[in-house]
Amino acid sequence: MNAAVGSAGVVLGFVSAAGGIVTIALGLLGGRRGMLRQIVPFVALVALGAVVAVAAMERGLITRDFSMAYVADHGSSKTPALYNVATLWSALEGSILLWALVLAGYLAAVTAKFRHRLDDPLVGWALLTMFAVCVFFFGLMLGPANPFHTVAVAPLDGPGPNPLLQNHPLMAVHPPMLYLGYVGFTVPFAFAVAALVTGRVGEGWLVETRRWTLFAWAFLSAGIVLGAWWSYEVLGWGGYWAWDPVENASFLPWLTGTAYLHSVMVQERRGMLRVWNLSLLCATFALTILGTFLTRSGVLDSVHSFSESAIGPLLLGFFALVVFVTVGLIGWRGDRLRAPGRIDSPRSREGSFLANNLLFAAFALVVLLGTVFPLVVEAVNGDRLTVGEPYFNRMTMPIGLALLFLMAVAPALPWRKASAETLAQRLQWPAWAGTGVLVLAVVLGARGVAPLLAFGLGGFAAGAAVRQIVLATRRQGWRGFMGRTNGGMIVHLGVVLIAVAFAASSSYDHQREAALDPGESVEVAGHTITYLGFEEDTSDPAKVERRARVRVDDDGVYEPTLQRFPNGSQEIGTPSVRSSLVDDVYLALLDPPASDGGPVRLRVIVAPLVMWLWIGGGVIVFGSALAAFPGSRRRGTEPTSALVAAGRDTSPVARRPGAARPDQERPERPERPENEPIGVG
Amino acid sequence: MADQPRTAPAARWVPWVLMAVVVAVALAVGSRPADDATEEDRVRAIASTVKCPACSGQSAATSDAPSATAIRAEITRRVRRGESDDEIRGYLAGRFDDILLTPTSSGAGGVVWALPVAAVVMAFAGLAFAFRRWQASSPTTASPADRDLVARARTGGSPADAHGEGDGR
Repeated sequence: MNAAVGSAGVVLGFVSAAGGIVTIALGLLGGRRGMLRQIVPFVALVALGAVVAVAAMERGLITRDFSMAYVADHGSSKTPALYNVATLWSALEGSILLWALVLAGYLAAVTAKFRHRLDDPLVGWALLTMFAVCVFFFGLMLGPANPFHTVAVAPLDGPGPNPLLQNHPLMAVHPPMLYLGYVGFTVPFAFAVAALVTGRVGEGWLVETRRWTLFAWAFLSAGIVLGAWWSYEVLGWGGYWAWDPVENASFLPWLTGTAYLHSVMVQERRGMLRVWNLSLLCATFALTILGTFLTRSGVLDSVHSFSESAIGPLLLGFFALVVFVTVGLIGWRGDRLRAPGRIDSPRSREGSFLANNLLFAAFALVVLLGTVFPLVVEAVNGDRLTVGEPYFNRMTMPIGLALLFLMAVAPALPWRKASAETLAQRLQWPAWAGTGVLVLAVVLGARGVAPLLAFGLGGFAAGAAVRQIVLATRRQGWRGFMGRTNGGMIVHLGVVLIAVAFAASSSYDHQREAALDPGESVEVAGHTITYLGFEEDTSDPAKVERRARVRVDDDGVYEPTLQRFPNGSQEIGTPSVRSSLVDDVYLALLDPPASDGGPVRLRVIVAPLVMWLWIGGGVIVFGSALAAFPGSRRRGTEPTSALVAAGRDTSPVARRPGAARPDQERPERPERPENEPIGVG
Repeated sequence: MADQPRTAPAARWVPWVLMAVVVAVALAVGSRPADDATEEDRVRAIASTVKCPACSGQSAATSDAPSATAIRAEITRRVRRGESDDEIRGYLAGRFDDILLTPTSSGAGGVVWALPVAAVVMAFAGLAFAFRRWQASSPTTASPADRDLVARARTGGSPADAHGEGDGR
């Protein structure tokens, strides 16, 4: 029953999306604008189809309907409730189903947001593009990724999801976050396509989609950080980022999306870089598809690739189609995209954004090349080429340091042109902050040029961000935290935290493997680790746990564990971590005692500042939320409304008496508050 | 924060010179190798650049597979014998096929190293060229249509096509 209802939902979604395409196409090409208003029922039906399909799948999982192939393959009567719900995204078919649900949600949200402008061709083409993407993903579920296959003879029980996917609660939140980010980039992509098709390649569509892009970006950031946290807490090797292809696949769209969020400001302010911005958006969307292809087709070896299937060629084909269509559209509209302006000086805000974009593009190129090139080589001449972690670390380190430097300098740069004196004055105390951090790090015993540069430049960048926030709050009070520029500075602080934590934890970690008898201690990087004893726990029907009881220093007992799930042949380790703001003590159980009272083999890793990675992720999300709030509301599509609003002296800047003082910020302040270059829709 | 833009130009640069000296000294002190690196740290540093033969995509430093453990033991032996990092890596590369996690700089592997560097150099060169051209070209002057647009915007009327979006609206 569940399978039949779910299949009906998928068919409903597919047919409604196709119907939506036909309706919009008739309205746009037949010149009957009225038809465009009829789109709402189609959107509702697509959303309904997705909800019905997901509900049917969850019902099947919760009621343990083993007549469904997906439940029989990935469900189990012993899986705890939380992981049972999360089983939806623990394998390929369910992941595509989740993707379709999120996509349908975005489609509905866009329709609701633009309900008064549905007969606008720009909105029409954007919805058409989104329907087309819906058709593809619902089509996948009708074809090779059908989640609602049934089995002839229902088994009594299933194996449950991969053991690694059911022993940490982060598994319940990380994939949905990631998908909200991944799929969210469909919205700006759809508007980019619409702008190209309608020829309205001006700035209107950018403003329309700014928030959507930011929303998707924030969720993608959160998803990536949570994924890193999950692998740290679960995989047991003490790291959180291994430049694994699956990680790279999520990181690539993040890189191009981040580049876009910066360069779009140049286009809003100066009308330049149109082709570049469109390319970045299209690349971001295409990379989400390519990433799905890489991770879901089984084409790569990876510790995370839990699934293989025949949908590879379809995803690759869709990727090729996206690239082909967008490149064709950009080429076709080339004449309208030519930028009218010019950049006066490399020593300007827009100059620094250009450099930022080059570095992000180079970063993405390194990651893409390192991930895909071995495949290409193997496909061409059969040679196996290994591109591993050391390559990525070595190549991305200078780019990362250069980006930190830009993060420090760019916020102080005015638009158009800066004199050396202005720059020297504005950068002075951020630079001293960086110097202070550097000296402090050396005094505390940090060694090595690369990590020290990361700390110093991180301090510099943090100083620049704090300076901007201090100036803004002085002018505008609490509103100084809001808006894109100031929220963006909070995001910068989060990125600096992550960069510093990454540099510290990967440069100054200490690892020991030790065989310990009960009562025996080992000293690692100033921490005393004492093995107390061993126990086996069979009380949980879902798994057998064997735990080592280990005391770390004098403040608590930690239990690194080995878990065996009834149907999983492989025993998996679950590390135990004592986290603090200074350092983490990471304990993994390698070998249980051979006989009662015998020695265990433990891996102990002490790494500094790891917790700041997760804190930094939280700061990024918080800053993104602040950046999404406008300082004051204006009509987004009318660029001149901003000028009028400022002229009426309603802006908080003008009302504050202090703002009249000619301070050193004058040159970078235009007629309106700088944190809102153009209003938002 | 320095709030005196009127100081003499030379005096303004004094703090920066001072800062440069501090940074240089700190980096010089900090570039000495860490003195608390243990033998295990060195073994792991070497092992993390070597593949675990039995597993996919993991390094010998992080894997618990027997072959990875054996490789770590071999590295430990050679570290104790006083061999250098490169000697140990060279030995492993000769003993096992395709064991290093970094691609070789010759042949197809060279592309992975050279292409990003070449791309960055060319991009920045192109940017420098573009800036020179922008600098050389005369600044654009406002056309009568531009002035008309500005005049209408200032009086509160909205321009028909402010951002060249065409007539599709």
